Amino acid sequence: MDYFFFIDLIQSTVDGLLFGTTYALIGIGFTLIFGVMRKLNLAYGAAALAGTYIGLVMFLTFDAHPAIVFLASAIGSGLIGLVVYLCCFRFTPENYPMASLLASVGMLLFIDEVVIHASHGLPYPYPSVFRDAIIEIGDVWVRGDLLFVFFMCVVAMGILFWLLYRTPLGLATRAVSQQPRAAQLCGIDVTRVNMMTFGIAGVLGGIAGAMTAAAVGVLSPVIAMGLTVKGLIVVVIGGLGFIPGAIIAGLLVGAAENIFLLLRGVTERDIYVMLLLFIFLTLRPGGLFGNAQSRD
Amino acid sequence: MMLTLDNLSKHFGGVRAVDDVSLALKEGEIFGLIGPNGSGKSTTVNLITGLYTPTSGTVSLNGRDLTAMPQHARTSQGVARTFQNIRLFGNLTVAQNLWVAQNGHEQRRQHFVSRWFRPGGEHSGDIEELLTFSRLASKRDVLASNLSFGEMRRLEMARALASNPRVLLLDEPAAGASLDDAELLAERIRAVRDRGVTVLLIEHMMELVMGITDRIAVLNFGRKIAEGTPAQVQDHPEVRAAYLGGGHDEKMEKASA
Amino acid sequence: MDFYLGLLQIIGVHTLLGLSAYVVLLTGQVSMAQAGFYAIGAYVAAMCTAMFGFHILPAILVAGLVTAFVACIVGFPALRVKGLMLVVATLAFGEMVRMFFFNFTWRIERGGELVGPNGAEGFRAIRFFPENGWETGDVTVFIWCVVAVIMAVLWWVDNSRAGAVLRAVGHDETAAQSIGLNLTAIKVGAMTAGGMIAGMGGGIYAHTVTHIEHLVFGVLLATFAIAYPILGGLGSVFGTVIAVVFIQGFLVEGLRFMGEWRSILFGALIVLAMNFRPTGLLGERMPRLFKPRPSESKLEPKGAE
Repeated sequence: MDYFFFIDLIQSTVDGLLFGTTYALIGIGFTLIFGVMRKLNLAYGAAALAGTYIGLVMFLTFDAHPAIVFLASAIGSGLIGLVVYLCCFRFTPENYPMASLLASVGMLLFIDEVVIHASHGLPYPYPSVFRDAIIEIGDVWVRGDLLFVFFMCVVAMGILFWLLYRTPLGLATRAVSQQPRAAQLCGIDVTRVNMMTFGIAGVLGGIAGAMTAAAVGVLSPVIAMGLTVKGLIVVVIGGLGFIPGAIIAGLLVGAAENIFLLLRGVTERDIYVMLLLFIFLTLRPGGLFGNAQSRD
Repeated sequence: MMLTLDNLSKHFGGVRAVDDVSLALKEGEIFGLIGPNGSGKSTTVNLITGLYTPTSGTVSLNGRDLTAMPQHARTSQGVARTFQNIRLFGNLTVAQNLWVAQNGHEQRRQHFVSRWFRPGGEHSGDIEELLTFSRLASKRDVLASNLSFGEMRRLEMARALASNPRVLLLDEPAAGASLDDAELLAERIRAVRDRGVTVLLIEHMMELVMGITDRIAVLNFGRKIAEGTPAQVQDHPEVRAAYLGGGHDEKMEKASA
Repeated sequence: MDFYLGLLQIIGVHTLLGLSAYVVLLTGQVSMAQAGFYAIGAYVAAMCTAMFGFHILPAILVAGLVTAFVACIVGFPALRVKGLMLVVATLAFGEMVRMFFFNFTWRIERGGELVGPNGAEGFRAIRFFPENGWETGDVTVFIWCVVAVIMAVLWWVDNSRAGAVLRAVGHDETAAQSIGLNLTAIKVGAMTAGGMIAGMGGGIYAHTVTHIEHLVFGVLLATFAIAYPILGGLGSVFGTVIAVVFIQGFLVEGLRFMGEWRSILFGALIVLAMNFRPTGLLGERMPRLFKPRPSESKLEPKGAE
């Protein structure tokens, strides 16, 4: 193993870790919804993508500043998240989880198709910041735009933690995620908490989508499936319902993906990521941290 | 001895849910297992059925060691249980609930194809008899989720009997029942015993336990603290202490001695 | 006329796909792997006829058996994964299968040309039907004979103790175990049976389209697979058939006039269906084939609770 290969390895890892924060955000979104509702929202990635497109509209029609574009993406995704909640989870029966699961899949298809139609299947340029800035640490180049992505995602996580642990809404959310019936008896409006959770998760997804598009510089509908699949992988490895797990798993998957890319190339990379997922599922279904919570 | 527990222990990390418990049930008796909440009664039942593996000790039925056997195999050996919080198959009818439970020793010896794929089996004589015994014959085609609470309880017990067990473990069958219900329950348990089934009854309702059991064992903090006839157990000082909290006084006596 | 025959063919193979998911779904396992099994069956059957000169019938049987074997292997780790995580696991498996075929190339010389799967390009020249004089009508009849046989078998199973046992396991695993049911055997068995049916369906499908490629066997197909039984209701096999007819016949073809908006409508309709009729078109209650004997409740003692 020569020096340049070693540098390449470190470069891949660094890039992967920085970009992995977007996976972490998506994973947090999935895990947040699961933690509060004990249900999987398969439309999550698509909703995040659709919100990102709303930001794109801002960019294309008003030539808005990137900050506005990102904000619009985040808020757009949050709103779409609320719509997904209303359509798929509000009225479907508690004791028949397959209904909400299939409904969210239907929603995924619906949103995906709407986006494809609206954009005519063509990719669009998406604003990227600090594209040309590079920080050199020895022979390893840290890309400015990736650093920005990393920074934004970390800020988002920080705000989330503040929300969860320092606000009454966060307290209510944590209560519902542990014991929904007891929380209801204590006067917490579970429906409202569920709605807010979807909204917040949506915002996180929008940021992730925006950052993904910003890192690549291009927005295209195929990102939705990628976000969804990566998000699910992160959630499996990190443990469903465990937010710190999602963060670490997100970084792990980001780094692993890039390393597989370096070692095996683009076509085989995804097979190895899937294999990683499968191994985790069979050897450690509870995730890295073996989290298992039971509730009423 | 019908059912024997030898120095059975189950530790969950530092918690000794069941601690060195030994019991021996005689064939045909109704044996009670009582103790305050958290004393290890349900864990003991789960150890007997195989839901939990013991940390040490053995479970034997008629001399055969069950300890290494998986849950589903124990049914064909003759162990059956009911659940405290009723776990019926709500998506199946009353008769079907009994049908799927026919996994006893004699039943398994039927030809594979016949046992699994013969249509109309839910109308067999065995099932009809059990339905009549449990006073559920008129509800045979009702979905289990549409039964009244009392009917659900009867079905829970009937389903356990469907595999023709040697030993029936009843996990708090009188939970939430009135005294009148308890009397009817007592009659049913005696009828079960008269069919040749040995009964292990876990219960909180003392009127029921003291009234129908032949012998009782008392658990506290996972250990057996007393065993004997209902009368013997009732007078036992440690039993009273466990239920009424007399331990405090004992400590005070020792301290001032 | 050919158009309707072709539509019947599509409905037929998709029914098999749906039935494969149905069997697994009964035991409470939501499997997104059926499209992957379908793919394996497609490639195996195509390789048998196009590369090794098999007749269609043994080719499909071989495809079914190979896929059943793979499904059995998948069934064991699937046991360790509960509920919703199984969706993720099977989705991952399906994607692995698809990506495998994306990279899979194996061509042999036959009749002066190279035949076989060719990576991203897919598997062309699966020409058993045209080369052996099978008309569209013949193929359609063949497909529906296979479907009819499998449906009959599943209907039989549904009305026997096996059907009730599968549903008991799907409802409450702990209770099922406590009454003596072997969960491992039942769940892996269901997965294996589902795999076999999907493999056979895929094998037939490959020959109706003569060219298969990895893109077809993706998440959308996996979604269709579970949508059919859930939409149709888990109460009986007919629910699945009706759902296939509805979705493929009405939505996909009947709304062809809507052009590109069909797919949007499809997603929206699933969402609406799940809100208004969550247990499916035919519901989740098992049908009863045999009428009960005259009630003996006259013998019940008075004063029943």
